[in-house]
Amino acid sequence: MRHHLPLLLSVGWLLIVLGVSIAAPMISQVNPLHPVAEPLLSPSQHPPLGTDALGRDVWTRIVYGGRLSPGSSFAAMAITVVVGGIAGLIASSLGGWFDRVIVWLSNSLLAIPGLLLAMLLVAAMGPRLLTVILAVGFGGAPGFVRLSRTMFHQIREQNYVTASVALGANRTWIAIHHLLPNAKNQLLSLATTHYAWAFMGTTTLTFLGLAGDPSIPEWGVMLNAGRAHLIDAPWLALWPGCAISLTILAIHRLGAWLSQREEGY
Amino acid sequence: MKHRRLIPLIILIFLFVSTSTACSIGTKESSTLVYGLTLSPTGIDPHLNASSELGIPLASVYDTLVFRDPASGEFVPGLSETWSISPDGLTYTFFLRRGVTFHDGTIFNAQAVQANLEYVMNPDHHSQKAQFMLGPLQEVEIIDDYTVALYLSEPFAPLLDSLSDVYLGMASPVALETWGPTEYQFHQVGTGPYRFVEYIPNDKITLTRNPDYAWAPSIYQNAKAKIDTIVFRFYEDPATRAIALESGEVDVIGEIPPHDADRIAVSSDFDLYPIAIPGQPMQFFFNTKKAPTDAALVRRALIHAINRPQAVKTIFGVYSPVADSPFLASSFNLEPQESFPTYDPETAGTLLDEVGWRITDEEGHRSRNDVPLELHIVAPPWGSNSEMAQLIRADWEAIGARVTLEIAPGFGPLKEAQAEGEYHAIGINLFGTDPDLLRSFYSSTGLYNWSQFEDPEIDRLLTQAAQESLDLDARLNLYEQVSSRVQEEALVLPIRNYVNLVAVNNRVEGLHFTAQGWYPILIDLQLAP
Amino acid sequence: MVSHSDRSSIGALTTVGRRFIEGVLTAWTAVSLTFFALRLIAGDPIASLLSQGLASPDQVENLRRSLGLDAPLFVQYLNFLAGFFRGDLGTSLFTGRPVSTVIVEQLPATAQLAFAGLGFALLFGLTLGVISAWKEETPLGQFAASLAGLATALPVAFTGILGLILYRQLLVVIPLLSVVKIRRLFLPALLLGFASAGAIARVVQAGLKETMKGPYILAARARGIEHGFRLLWHALRPALPPVVSLTALEAAFLFAGTVVTETVFSRPGLGRLLVTSILQGDYPIAQGLVVLAAVFYTISHMLADILAFTIDPRLRRVT
Repeated sequence: MRHHLPLLLSVGWLLIVLGVSIAAPMISQVNPLHPVAEPLLSPSQHPPLGTDALGRDVWTRIVYGGRLSPGSSFAAMAITVVVGGIAGLIASSLGGWFDRVIVWLSNSLLAIPGLLLAMLLVAAMGPRLLTVILAVGFGGAPGFVRLSRTMFHQIREQNYVTASVALGANRTWIAIHHLLPNAKNQLLSLATTHYAWAFMGTTTLTFLGLAGDPSIPEWGVMLNAGRAHLIDAPWLALWPGCAISLTILAIHRLGAWLSQREEGY
Repeated sequence: MKHRRLIPLIILIFLFVSTSTACSIGTKESSTLVYGLTLSPTGIDPHLNASSELGIPLASVYDTLVFRDPASGEFVPGLSETWSISPDGLTYTFFLRRGVTFHDGTIFNAQAVQANLEYVMNPDHHSQKAQFMLGPLQEVEIIDDYTVALYLSEPFAPLLDSLSDVYLGMASPVALETWGPTEYQFHQVGTGPYRFVEYIPNDKITLTRNPDYAWAPSIYQNAKAKIDTIVFRFYEDPATRAIALESGEVDVIGEIPPHDADRIAVSSDFDLYPIAIPGQPMQFFFNTKKAPTDAALVRRALIHAINRPQAVKTIFGVYSPVADSPFLASSFNLEPQESFPTYDPETAGTLLDEVGWRITDEEGHRSRNDVPLELHIVAPPWGSNSEMAQLIRADWEAIGARVTLEIAPGFGPLKEAQAEGEYHAIGINLFGTDPDLLRSFYSSTGLYNWSQFEDPEIDRLLTQAAQESLDLDARLNLYEQVSSRVQEEALVLPIRNYVNLVAVNNRVEGLHFTAQGWYPILIDLQLAP
Repeated sequence: MVSHSDRSSIGALTTVGRRFIEGVLTAWTAVSLTFFALRLIAGDPIASLLSQGLASPDQVENLRRSLGLDAPLFVQYLNFLAGFFRGDLGTSLFTGRPVSTVIVEQLPATAQLAFAGLGFALLFGLTLGVISAWKEETPLGQFAASLAGLATALPVAFTGILGLILYRQLLVVIPLLSVVKIRRLFLPALLLGFASAGAIARVVQAGLKETMKGPYILAARARGIEHGFRLLWHALRPALPPVVSLTALEAAFLFAGTVVTETVFSRPGLGRLLVTSILQGDYPIAQGLVVLAAVFYTISHMLADILAFTIDPRLRRVT
C-alpha cells in the first residue's frame, strides 16, 4: 500500500486542479485581472495567498491558472497525439516507402530539441498563447511519431493481427479494427507521459514571455512576473512554481503507473 | 590504493567544473568600476540609434560642441570655444577649440564637424533621432580649419540644445568613414575623457581612461578621469538588479524597482539617487482616427476612469510624481492652464452615457447600437509600461469597456503596431531637454503623432515656438497654449514623471549627472580607498 | 587494439563512415524542413521592415533583390544552402549584421555555461545513480532516486528562481559568496546541471543494477564491505558506455536549457539571443540558431555512437 501513496497523492492533486478549475467562478468571486487590494500583501495580510505587484488576488489567479495552464498544455498534447499518432499509424500500417519517409522526417526533426522547435514556430507565428499551444503541439510531434510507430509495430506482431494479414485483410481495415482498439491503453499511457512534457513546454514558453499578454492568469506567466519580487515577496514566484512542479510530478507519476500496468499486462 | 581509479575521475570532473567556473571570475582591480545598464539596445551608435541607455557610457566617449550646465540650464563651451547666431536665427557659426585630438589620433577641426553632421543627415543611414534633432539644417560650411557655419532653412530654437546632447557627439571622421553605419557602433572613436574599447551585444561595453584628455568643459569637476576601466553590463531583468548590486557584481545601477529601492535607501552600504529625467511623462496616446476614441468625450471619459495616483503608487511607490500635464517635464516648468481631469468613474460613466455608450447587460458592459465598447491597448515593454497598461485595462473594464492588451516586445514591433493602426491607446514617450520635443508628438506631420490628430492651431503654435524667438519665456508661453489645446481635446493620458532610481555602492564617490538626466559624468567618479 | 584483424577495423571504418553520411543527411533534412516551414508560415521576412518605418518601399525592393528574395522559393533554398556551407547564415533584419557574427559573439558565454552545466550534470548524475543503485534498499538510496526523479520533473525556470531566492538569503549570512562571483556562472551552471542529472542518474542506476547481479560482484559483496569502492568501479565500468552517449546527447539538449537559465540569471548568450530575436521578429537569427542546434546535435549524436562503439567491444562484433 505504501507504494501506492505517491500515486494516490498524484491523482488527488490532479483531481483538485480539475475540480478547482471547473468551479473557479464559484471558488473566487473576484476578477483575476483586476486589483482588489494594496499591492504585495503577504499571505497573512490578505489570505490565503496574498496579492501580486498590481494588487490582484493571487489565490484567484492561481485558481484561474488551473484552467489556463493545464488546459492549454492539454490542447498542445492533444495536437501532438493526433498528429504524431496518425503519422505513426500510417507509417506502421502502410509500411514501405511511407514508413521510410515518415521515419526519416521525424528522426531528422528530432535533431532539433523539441523546445527549440516550438520556439521557432512561435517566432514564425508571433507571440500569443494560441501560437504557444500550436507550437508545443507540433514541436512534440516528431518524438511522438517514433513512439507510436514502435507501439503499432508491436501490436502488428501479435498473432491475431498476423493472422488477419494472412487472411488477406485490407491494411486500412486492420488499422481501424485491430491496431487502434488494441493500442487504446498504450496510447493513453504514452499520451499521459507526453502530457508532462507538453505541460513543461507550455509553461516554459509562457514563462519566457512568448504568450504576449502579461496579464493572463497563467502559471508560467505568473512565475515570470514573480521574479521581480524574489526578495520582498518570494511567494509570488513560489505559488505558481509549486503548482507547475506538482502538476508535472503528478502527471509523471500517473504516466509511470499507466506504463507499468501496461507492461505487467 | 583501493580507490585509485574512481578518484581521478571525480577529481577530473571537479577540475572541469571549477576551471570553467573560475575563468570568468578573475579579480577586480581597484580602478575598475562596473556600471549596470538596464536596457540592451539594438544598436548603440548615438548618431543613428535613439535609445537613452546608450548615452550612459557614450556621453563620456564623446565631447559635444557645447555643453549644458545641469544646474542653470545655460550653454557652456565644449569643443566650440565661442559661437554666434545671426539675428535672423538662420546661421550658427562655431569657433572651434584647437589642439583637440580624437582617440585614434585624428585632429578635431571644422572638417570633422562637417563629416559628423553629414553622416547623421545621410538618408541611407536612417538616423532614428540625431537627424531630427538638427531640424531644418540645410548646409554645413567650412569657413576655415577651425570655424564652421551651419545654415538653416528656417529658424530653429532647439539647435544648441541638440548640439549639447550625445546624439550629436563628435566622432572621428576617419572611423566613421572606415567602418560605415552598421559596424561603426563597435568601433566608436570620440574625443571624450573615456575611450571606447569594446561592445559585445547583450554582454558588455568597456571604456578605458583617456590619458590625453585636456579639454574638459566647465561642467566637469575633474580635468582627467580617475578610474582606469569602466565596464557596463546589461541587467534588463529588473528582478536581478538589486541582487547584482548587493552581491558586489556592480557598483552603480539604474532603474532599481521601487520595492528594492526602499531597502537600499536605508542600507548603510549603498546609496539611492532618485534622478528626475527631463522629457515627457509616461503617457498613452488615444487614437483619434478609430472609433470609439475618435470622440473627444469618450477620450475624456477614459481619462476620468483611471485612478492615476493609485496606479502610480502601486507601481512606482513613493518616488514618482503623478503627471498632471500632457507634457511636463521637470526642466520645462510648464504649468497646465486648467486642472487636469481627476479620477472620477461616475463622471466617466455619465460622459459615456451622453454619447450613447450605455450599459446593456447585467455584467455592466457598455454598447451602442449593439456595438460593444471595445478598446485595444498597445504598450511598450520597457519602464513598467506593461504593468501600467494592465492597471489601465482594469480601470476601463470597471466602467464597462471590454479591453484587450498587447505588449509590443520592442521599439520595432511597437512602431509596427502603430502603423497597423488597430490600437485605441498606445504608450510612447521620449526624453529631452528642449520642449521642441513636443513637435514630433503633436504636430500633424510629427513622426510620433500617434494620436493621429491634425490641428492647424497646434501646428501653428509649435512652429512659432521653434522659430520665433530664442527667448525661453516667450517659447514656454506658446507651449502652454499647446498644452491647453491638447488637454481640451484629451489626446493623451499622462501617467507619471520619470524618476530614475540609481543605486550606488558607497565606495563610489562623485556621482552626478548631465542636464539630460540619464547620463552620469564619468570623469568625476572615483573609488574610495 | 592492435590484436584486431584488418577486416574488423575495415568493418569499423565503414560503420563510422555510414554513421557519418547518415548524420549529414539528417542535419540536411532538419535544416531544409525548418527553412521551408518558416518561409511558408512567416512569409516575407522583409515586409515587417516596411511597416516599422525602418526602410522606404524603394529600399525594401533593393534589399529584397540584394538578398535574393525576389527569386523563386526553390532558388532561395539553394542560395540558403550554398550560404550555409560558406558559413553565411543570412542577415539580421534589425541590425543588418551577419547572423553568423552575432552568433559567434554570444557563443562563448553559452559554451561556458553549458560546459560547466555538463560537468555538474555528470557529477550529480553519477553520484545519484550510484547511490540509488548501491544503497537501493536504504532510505539514502531511495532519497537519491527520488531526487533524480525530481531533477527531471522540476522546470529549470522554477529551480533557477528557488536558487536565486536561496542565494540571496545565504548572501546575508555568508558575505564570502559575493566575493567570488558565484551568481553569474556557478549558480546557473549548477541548476542547469541538476536539470540534466536525472536522465544520467537513471541510466547509471539501471546499468549498475544490471552488472551488480553478476556472480563475481555478488560473491565479492558477500565477502565484506571493505572492497566497496573497488567493486563499485568494476560494476560501474560496463555501465558507462550508455552514460557516455547520453552525456553527448544531453550536451545538445543543454542548449535548450540555457534559454531559460540565461533568462532567469540575466546572463548573455545564445539562449537570450533566441528569445529576444523571437520577440522582435528577427527570425533569420532564430533560424540560424536552430540550424546550429541541429548541426550540433547531429555531430554529438554521431560522436556518441562512435565513442560507445570504441569503448564497448561487444558493439563492434555486432556490426
